[in-house]
Amino acid sequence: MGGRGGGGGGRKARNFATFRLFPRAGAADPNDRVFVRVDNNDYTVPGFADEDSFDPSLSDPSAGDGNFHSASGPLPEHVRREILELGLPDDGYNYLSHLRELRPAAASSFVPSSTARPEPLPLDVKAYDASRVRVGPSDGELDEGKTMCKVAAKTAPVRRIEKAVDPDVVRLLDESDVSHVGSEDEGLEEDFVIIANRAEGEELEEEDIEEWNGVLSDVEEEFDFEEDEPKPRVRRLLDEQFDLLALEEYGDSDDDDRVVKDGEYELPSEAIDELKLFQSQNVCVDEEYRTPADFVRQKVDSSTTDEVDESAHVIKKCAEYAERYLNETAEEEVVVLVSESSDESEVWDCETIVSTFSNLDNHPGKIETPGIPRKRLPRVFPGETTTTNDIIKLHGKEKLPVEYLPQRRRNGEKEKKVKPVEASVTDKFKKGAEKETKEEKKARKAAVKEEKKEARKAKKELKGLYKSETQKAQKVAAVTGPSSIRLIYCGKHFGLFEIMT
Amino acid sequence: MAAADVAYAPPMKSGKAGFEAGLMDPQHRIRITLSSRSVKNLEKVCGDLVKGAKGKDLKIKGPIRMPTKVLHITTRKSPCGEGTNTWDRFEMRIHKRVIDLISTPDVVKQITSITIEPGVEVEVTISDP
Repeated sequence: MGGRGGGGGGRKARNFATFRLFPRAGAADPNDRVFVRVDNNDYTVPGFADEDSFDPSLSDPSAGDGNFHSASGPLPEHVRREILELGLPDDGYNYLSHLRELRPAAASSFVPSSTARPEPLPLDVKAYDASRVRVGPSDGELDEGKTMCKVAAKTAPVRRIEKAVDPDVVRLLDESDVSHVGSEDEGLEEDFVIIANRAEGEELEEEDIEEWNGVLSDVEEEFDFEEDEPKPRVRRLLDEQFDLLALEEYGDSDDDDRVVKDGEYELPSEAIDELKLFQSQNVCVDEEYRTPADFVRQKVDSSTTDEVDESAHVIKKCAEYAERYLNETAEEEVVVLVSESSDESEVWDCETIVSTFSNLDNHPGKIETPGIPRKRLPRVFPGETTTTNDIIKLHGKEKLPVEYLPQRRRNGEKEKKVKPVEASVTDKFKKGAEKETKEEKKARKAAVKEEKKEARKAKKELKGLYKSETQKAQKVAAVTGPSSIRLIYCGKHFGLFEIMT
Repeated sequence: MAAADVAYAPPMKSGKAGFEAGLMDPQHRIRITLSSRSVKNLEKVCGDLVKGAKGKDLKIKGPIRMPTKVLHITTRKSPCGEGTNTWDRFEMRIHKRVIDLISTPDVVKQITSITIEPGVEVEVTISDP
């Protein structure tokens, strides 16, 4: 080799440079490597790994590495596009250099967490929180601009909407502080219909208003809900349209005097009269069930003659009413039918509703305390490796089904065994394979012997403990079973086997 | 050296007739040492390098195979001291090839940047010719 001057004394002249290929720091591609100097000699090799911005693609354009060294000037189009796609700003800096690709082995599939924050809004939707906007009756002031200003002042843009677990529950929880006004009065009287229709005065209607108010939501609470409320402000085109629509749908309901509220309607006056009659009769409910016919035929306990007469004519009267009803509908009288929304009965309080999920879909488990793990017979019997499964082999003097019993490990004897064995480990290796097996065998046999010894000892103990059990069981058997059954006690298994003779 | 070549015109391999032109001044002796744990990759990289160098008409001394180093680790199989004393014998084989060239460092950089195989370590030593 050239370059080795020097004589005998000194060290050989080290005029060589050693470079090693290392992967570039922070590079995505493990094949992207650079030469790094690994020795400390003075020898310089210009043009090998000296520059900071070493770029194999520059020196060899055919390499096609894809690394673009452009600190200044606009980035190439595809780079810019990629940067934009990632959501990074397009300011001329190549953010891709900071990215790292996940290796296929390292990156398992991405599973979004179910407990994460709710999704942000989609890009084409903007949400505003308008809970502070007060929509109230403002007299005469319906300038669009002003309303918009008012609304805008109170709303705040919201970046994500939280989806409630159960919208019903959330909605009701929101109203929880308001809706309990009428909850105490929920129990209806027996004759609530009569009471409701009897009281024509303002007071009762006021009560009802209060109750209904309690059920309405916050925004509507702003209204002073009076009789003549509907037209406080200047009518708009929308109002006209609404009225027209209402007319179409619900017929003639332009009466302002008789405001029709939800769930409440006025019975025709004939019905009211009848009900009054009924109430004045003081009907008491007897134990027995009586039909009108009873009153007529059997003359049973009729307090008034009126009753008897009426009972007789019940059927006739029913027919009359039916006819009248039919005729009334033909004349198109005002009969307002309102679907029973019955907000009062549907208000749920926190104590009664836990969830609106039904058990048909939702199967919650019962929480129980963990039980004590009980040791059972092993499922895979070691004895099953033998061919016959039906025969249980009994071993030993006591005739026990050894292979079907749970094996217990003895740690005490293993310790004794390990120490003498350790010393011979090095010997094993020196001597080779043959001698090792002898030692192994000896050790194994010794271990088994020890185990059997321990087993015998334990069994003797146990036998002594449970001797009385055998006698008891024999007594019982003597009374109950046939005398041919002889009971013996078997050591390991805590039970008694019968010997069938 | 270029002038001497032209005058002397020693018998060389084919393909090196037009040698005088295109010679850049700093010709160095370059030793490329390749080491790896897998023979297949290593042989592949070697082959590519030699091919690349021959394609550029460089004087090359073909892959010299160093003896394989085998690193042994012998441990007990058991995590505790119990049981029959069985031992594991692990080994790691490191293969090494050496390629000598005479050329300029730029060319070498080119060649080594193209042939890339995972698990093969490349070391380049540049010295005066």
